[in-house]
Amino acid sequence: MGNNRDFALVERCQSGDRRALEELLGYYQKPVYNAAYRILGNPDDAADTTQVVFMKAFERLGQYDPRYKFFSWIYRIAINESINLLKRARNQQPLDDTEVTGTRGPEAAVEAGDVSREIQEELMGLKEDYRTVVVLRHFSECSYRQISEILQIPEKTVKSRLYSARQLMKESLQARGVV
Amino acid sequence: MIDERTIELINADIDGELEPSERLELDGILDSSADARAMRAELLSLNNLLESLPEQKPPAGLLQEILNKITLPGEKSAFSLSRLFTSFQPAATGLAFAAGLLVTVSFYELLPRQGTSLDTGGMVGTMVANPATMPTESRDVLAFEGAGLDGSVTLKGNKKLLILEFDLDSSEQVEIKVAYAEAGLGFSGIAHVANDVDDRPVAVETYQLSEGVLRVENQGRQIFTVFLPEVIPVKSGSREISIDVSTAGARVFSGVLRG
Repeated sequence: MGNNRDFALVERCQSGDRRALEELLGYYQKPVYNAAYRILGNPDDAADTTQVVFMKAFERLGQYDPRYKFFSWIYRIAINESINLLKRARNQQPLDDTEVTGTRGPEAAVEAGDVSREIQEELMGLKEDYRTVVVLRHFSECSYRQISEILQIPEKTVKSRLYSARQLMKESLQARGVV
Repeated sequence: MIDERTIELINADIDGELEPSERLELDGILDSSADARAMRAELLSLNNLLESLPEQKPPAGLLQEILNKITLPGEKSAFSLSRLFTSFQPAATGLAFAAGLLVTVSFYELLPRQGTSLDTGGMVGTMVANPATMPTESRDVLAFEGAGLDGSVTLKGNKKLLILEFDLDSSEQVEIKVAYAEAGLGFSGIAHVANDVDDRPVAVETYQLSEGVLRVENQGRQIFTVFLPEVIPVKSGSREISIDVSTAGARVFSGVLRG
């Protein structure tokens, strides 16, 4: 994530340079959408949230503090908007609470689409604090420090949440025979 | 039994966050502990599984939609309602022109009456600066695309007042229905923006109020804000405002704004 590059583009955006805006959006549209998708579990909500994130970010561009990395700032807005939408959601799809009786053996073939769906279900089963750190670490490839900056929590808390989340996911996926 | 330190080192190893000294420490633990090796293998398997998932592709057109909605400082080709209305209040008395603006604002107050229709094409007013702070925090957004209609409606508000900011562009006649009464809201006015800077003609809009529903007929480019004050307080949760869009009598879009 090129901080100098982003800083230069932000400055150009602040001067009304539309090509700089297109360039910045080109870099961040997909990562923001992916993060929103993994937190929200829904492509339509992810698309709506992505729009809101960028509209807010560029509305508030004057408030952006260049001491902090642009990607931390944009991801923070993305996480906050995603969490806000979750809190407002009334039609969140309930998890499948059916007990798994027996297990699938390691030799059982699992289709790629099934695995993706099962992972997303596991993610949606995590509480939001845990889900956010998992998404930022595994899907946005952020370091502990970057996650700490984005969420404005200590690194120690990032690690604690991440380790706990992994343990929960591992146990659940093992019980379902996915890992 | 695996201690916390070992768990921390294993997880940091998975994340590539080990210092050299920690690497040595973990190697020593793994050499002597089968449990630690098993945990590491399991977490590595989970990590590989997570990272093997395909990246989700944003829907086609999303980037352009976002670009269309953003106005940069100094740009004149688009107009941002949120900046214009940061301190704006429906006023019964006295309006003053904001110097340097290249837009005119039409504003009028309506009482919710049955079957009220209003053609705003000829109405022109001015903007008032008011110390009262209008809500600016976005609560929800609906974007429209297709069937000849492109645009969005953004919901902003506080406990006492919700506002809907419409930014529409339709090549054909469309009807937009906003059901607000069921959400415990009333209707107190519309601010219509005519953009002199944009060369494209602004549509002549027709608004109709009937039974707690606002109907707007639109063709062409239109930017306007609807003010919906609280009539029935809500103790908790959010209000839902349904939006239906029809063209040639057929519904093409339905959505709900929550805030």
